[in-house]
Amino acid sequence: MILEALIGFTFLAALLVLLAPNAWAGRLAFALSTVPFVGSLYLWSRFDAVGNALTGGTIAFESRYEWVEVGGRTVSWFVGLDGISLPLVVLTTFLVPLAILSAWTPVDTRQSQFYGLMLFMEANLLGVFTALDFFLWFVFWEAVLVPMYFLIGVWGGPRRKYAAIKFFVYTNAASLLMFIGFMSLTFALGDSIGSLALPEITQAIADGGLETWFGISPGRIAMVAFLATFAGFAVKVPIVPFHTWLPDAHVEAPTPVSVLLAGVLLKMGTYALLRFNFTMLPEQASALAVPIAAIAVISVIYGAMLALAQKDLKRIVAYSSVSSMGYVILGLVVFTEYGVGGATFQMVAHGLISGLMFMAVGVVYNATHTRMVGDMAGMADRMPVTVGILVAGAFGYMGLPLMAGFAGEFFIFVGAFGAPSLPYAPVFTALAMFGIVIVAGYLLSAMQKTLFGPFRLETDYEIGRAPFHDVAPLAVLLAAIVVLGVAPDLFFEMIRDAAMPVVEGVSVDV
Amino acid sequence: MVDAFAYVPAVVLLPFFSFLVALGAGKYLPKGGAFGGIAATAGSFLLSLWIAATVAGGRAYDETLYTWAAGDQFELTFGALVDPLSALMLVIVTLVALLVHVFSLGYMNDEGETGLPRYYAGLGLFTASMLGFVVADNLLMAFMFFELVGLCSYLLIGFHFREPGPPSAAKKAFLVTRFGDYFFLVGVVAVFATFGTAAFAGEGSFPALAEAALAGDQAVWTPGGLDVMTWFTVVGLLVLGGVVGKSAQFPLHTWLPDAMEGPTPVSALIHAATMVAAGVYLVARMYGFYALTPTTLAVIAFIGGFTALFAATMGVVKDELKQVLAYSTISQYGYMMLALGAGGYVAAVFHLTTHAFFKALLFLGAGSVIIAMHHNEDMWDMGGLKARMPVTYYTFLAGSLALAGIFPFAGFWSKDEILYEALVHGLNEPLLLGGYVMGLLAVPVTAFYTFRMVFLTFHGEPRTDLAADPEPVRWNVKGPLTVLGSLAVVTGFINMVPVQKVLGLEGIDYLHRWLDNEWGGIDGLSSHHYADLGPYSSGYIAGGEVPTVLVGAAVSLGLALAGLGLAWRLYNVASPTEHTAKLGGIKDVLYNNYYLDELQVWIAYRTEDIAGGADTFDQGIIDGVVNGVSSVSLAGGSRVRRIQTGLVSQYAAMLTLGLIALLVLIGVNGGWFL
Amino acid sequence: MAAVAASIPPQWYLLLAAGVFCIGLFGILTRSDALYFLMSVELMMNAANINFVAFSLYYGDLTGQVFALFVIALAAAEVAIGIGIILVLYRNFGDIDVTVPTEMRW
Repeated sequence: MILEALIGFTFLAALLVLLAPNAWAGRLAFALSTVPFVGSLYLWSRFDAVGNALTGGTIAFESRYEWVEVGGRTVSWFVGLDGISLPLVVLTTFLVPLAILSAWTPVDTRQSQFYGLMLFMEANLLGVFTALDFFLWFVFWEAVLVPMYFLIGVWGGPRRKYAAIKFFVYTNAASLLMFIGFMSLTFALGDSIGSLALPEITQAIADGGLETWFGISPGRIAMVAFLATFAGFAVKVPIVPFHTWLPDAHVEAPTPVSVLLAGVLLKMGTYALLRFNFTMLPEQASALAVPIAAIAVISVIYGAMLALAQKDLKRIVAYSSVSSMGYVILGLVVFTEYGVGGATFQMVAHGLISGLMFMAVGVVYNATHTRMVGDMAGMADRMPVTVGILVAGAFGYMGLPLMAGFAGEFFIFVGAFGAPSLPYAPVFTALAMFGIVIVAGYLLSAMQKTLFGPFRLETDYEIGRAPFHDVAPLAVLLAAIVVLGVAPDLFFEMIRDAAMPVVEGVSVDV
Repeated sequence: MVDAFAYVPAVVLLPFFSFLVALGAGKYLPKGGAFGGIAATAGSFLLSLWIAATVAGGRAYDETLYTWAAGDQFELTFGALVDPLSALMLVIVTLVALLVHVFSLGYMNDEGETGLPRYYAGLGLFTASMLGFVVADNLLMAFMFFELVGLCSYLLIGFHFREPGPPSAAKKAFLVTRFGDYFFLVGVVAVFATFGTAAFAGEGSFPALAEAALAGDQAVWTPGGLDVMTWFTVVGLLVLGGVVGKSAQFPLHTWLPDAMEGPTPVSALIHAATMVAAGVYLVARMYGFYALTPTTLAVIAFIGGFTALFAATMGVVKDELKQVLAYSTISQYGYMMLALGAGGYVAAVFHLTTHAFFKALLFLGAGSVIIAMHHNEDMWDMGGLKARMPVTYYTFLAGSLALAGIFPFAGFWSKDEILYEALVHGLNEPLLLGGYVMGLLAVPVTAFYTFRMVFLTFHGEPRTDLAADPEPVRWNVKGPLTVLGSLAVVTGFINMVPVQKVLGLEGIDYLHRWLDNEWGGIDGLSSHHYADLGPYSSGYIAGGEVPTVLVGAAVSLGLALAGLGLAWRLYNVASPTEHTAKLGGIKDVLYNNYYLDELQVWIAYRTEDIAGGADTFDQGIIDGVVNGVSSVSLAGGSRVRRIQTGLVSQYAAMLTLGLIALLVLIGVNGGWFL
Repeated sequence: MAAVAASIPPQWYLLLAAGVFCIGLFGILTRSDALYFLMSVELMMNAANINFVAFSLYYGDLTGQVFALFVIALAAAEVAIGIGIILVLYRNFGDIDVTVPTEMRW
């Protein structure tokens, strides 16, 4: 029941904030959004799952009610947590209050609607990470897009309409592809499943439940379903070449929305890839290991090169997200404990770090009203604390040891290098690792140009101290990043536990 | 009985706390948090002495202290490894850090710098990171602290961030070393994949496993079934990438001269005891692995010898005091690499020790001169400071004699031993012999530029008003100089191998005995063991060991004196003039550092061009396809909608046609027309 | 009467209905006067009615006749609305030519 309470409370909070007057909607939203965070900490303290929820592990806080029956398949309200989803739930509930705080300064119109939509999105995100029934999951998955569309389209920058529509249509079209792919899989399972519950489907596929359907052999159906769902999720992640909506959406979105977009929404894609493609269809994933690893490496290097070419601070961070997500894909495809576990850990780490970067860039933007690298210099002179945290965050992004990003990346690298299931694993890993040099290149040169040197600002704004409620979330995020970097086992232990069944699902003939 | 080893974490954590204190409360503390840093490093120094004494008492320490990630595949841990090598290094690092902190009182506080809490926080974190690196018991932990050292160098080199130069130099330092660290990280990952562990010491450590694997007693993973020896060589070279970056070896040395933008005490810390020393220390730390692969050793030796000569030549033409010292640092670390590559493990550690003291001394002395000269670093504006600042002069002179390798100062003993090792082992190894020759050629060059610097700065007549009336320096500058000056004179006596060999006095090679675990240590981490592993055999010239020692020492001392003499002739005059013009075109090449900086800038720009091309491609082609899909849909829609004319009759006609078409279709299908 | 009507084969009714339908269709396709339109639609609808009643008679089932009644009611309503539209047309365009108002597109 506790998960229902968590999600239900968040929906109610969204409604409440929506009806609140603009004047104190922000404060109310922040106060209400701390409740889910406390709730998720409680979940963490009582967490007792063993193994992976999809492969027959013990599910924590499991709750299941039959809902309707569609075509001989029961659709149920089925939620629960395991070691992969809990960290993401905690990440979501942790980031939302901070994002709301960071919205106090920049959002100055229709506050109640803004904060209401933020909370509505949080509720749906929690649904995505907890749902264990395909239908339920899909409803939440799609419902996330709606508030995001409005958040970008109403409160965004000058080209907000373009960005919002591009985001919505692109990801929605991808969802369609994914839906078709997955549904063909469930149809091909025939009588071997009686519901759309993900554990049951996983089990049925593992037991060889796929049948010939419309004259198509099971192997081919599985492969087509894998490709369709992979392409669908690849847009969300995003993986090159499906990434072009991301920089547009990020540049136009207001700071707090960028924080959630990079921090949590991108993780939906990698989470779904892990749950669906790599847990349910490991054979297909192994068969396609080389091309997937190749696009992962391309994402890393190409994304980093694009970031190097950008002049807008937000675009730099946006493209570096593409690069970081490439590491996650590499970690998933190698099917080792540290690979899959590290990929999941990297989701959380990147959520925190990219959130911090977007927030810090937002605080600078609040003061300067420009994000272009050439428009400012020497900001460290005027905003020492903000810049200090921004520098720390940038080093986190570069994978500085004892910060969360290094842990995630190192786990992936060490898991991938000797991976037996991926041919040429050392070559792929070494190539992907070169990303850490390029990321240092563009972040350092952007910082040198904007933050250091003699002070200069093209726009005509007085720069004062950033308000406390702008800087506080930065400090909190930085602290979380360092804590996770020093003690990754806080999450990594449960992640490993949930990742092992996925890894063991792949029998490698070596 | 309290165990000294229980305080190993405290050695690392004390400076870390000073970092936290200075960062959090520095602006409320007197002197910007300096006393916290001094107290912390002094505490670390005392603990390090105690730990070293405990090691001397016959014990060693290798403990896993913290599990970072406890996977089944690999267990990633933090631990402390205290053996003679790390105990020695602990003492060096904490001592230099302590003296640098004290000196900073004079260099930073007395000069009225702003941002002091940030400065002392940086120093504290720098010291803590280096100490963490020194005690690291596995390669991963070493890498992590190695990177933190890089971060601290970034923060401190870019300390004066309001000026354009320092941030740029800081960026370059981090980026160039990051490039080296990339290879190091690949190496770390490869070590894990190969051995499943990255521990330095013990039965299950990776050097021990590698030794067993080469003997055929142990199966290890290699990529694609590669030959074990080849793979180990590759791994060794990968890790070496990080060493080349941090220890500023060719071709990744370019960051170091630029790093002179940082405050001078920071330069002392970076060059003498922390960042640059980290690379060489790493090779020494995992020498049991490097000794197994002759190719890697030869590469190390050759890079080292080449860098020693290469950097020394650039030092000859520089006009700024700190620039000369910067190139001398690169050159001296080249010697250490030469020693390591030549199988002279003890010689390298010896030179690391003596160099730490005399280079810290020289930098602090330069700092003292810079204070006196009101932050003018151009040697041509100095002259005649000898009479006006005697303490600085005599200590600086001691350091210079050590650097130039003049008997009996510290540098003579260590450099001589390096060249001796390279010679006796190199007689059978052409690559090593090449390294030796270059190292030998660097000796007169070193002596020349060192004394060119000394004469231009301290001798002759003052060439500017500043030099005629220098600002006096206080105890906090003179104190550290005196301590280091004495050390520069006497450190060489801890390891008088030539004397032992020539006179037959047994047991005065204390460092050899120390590093050979004679008093205490960990099996498998002794110089003896490394010598057994190494591929080298000794050859002698002039018919035996003693003549070889004598000839080698005489040649290097003679060359050093020749260089000194030339500097004396050219620059020890009342009003010296530039003689570099005699070098002709070579001068420009040297002055521009062989245009290597230009090359790297060129590479950086080309990379940016590629990135720009990628961006054009991305926006044009990839995003073009996405936007193309939408514009095709939109355009198609706007064409198709023209069917709707708004004329009711036409709609009716279409309805009718549709009906007819439907009827015909049904008819054809139903076979009505047959 | 019913016997006479029943004795006529259904093809004749269908031919008659088809003829009336075609006349109505012809009117719609060729005329541009809204009143002609209305009358033509009425013709087509009555053609359908003839079919309904004819089949009802043929099968002896009253459903068709009931439907015919519905269609008549529908036609009456349609005429009421149609006349209303024509009046509005005339008021706005001064004419009842259906080719003049073409705004109701995209």
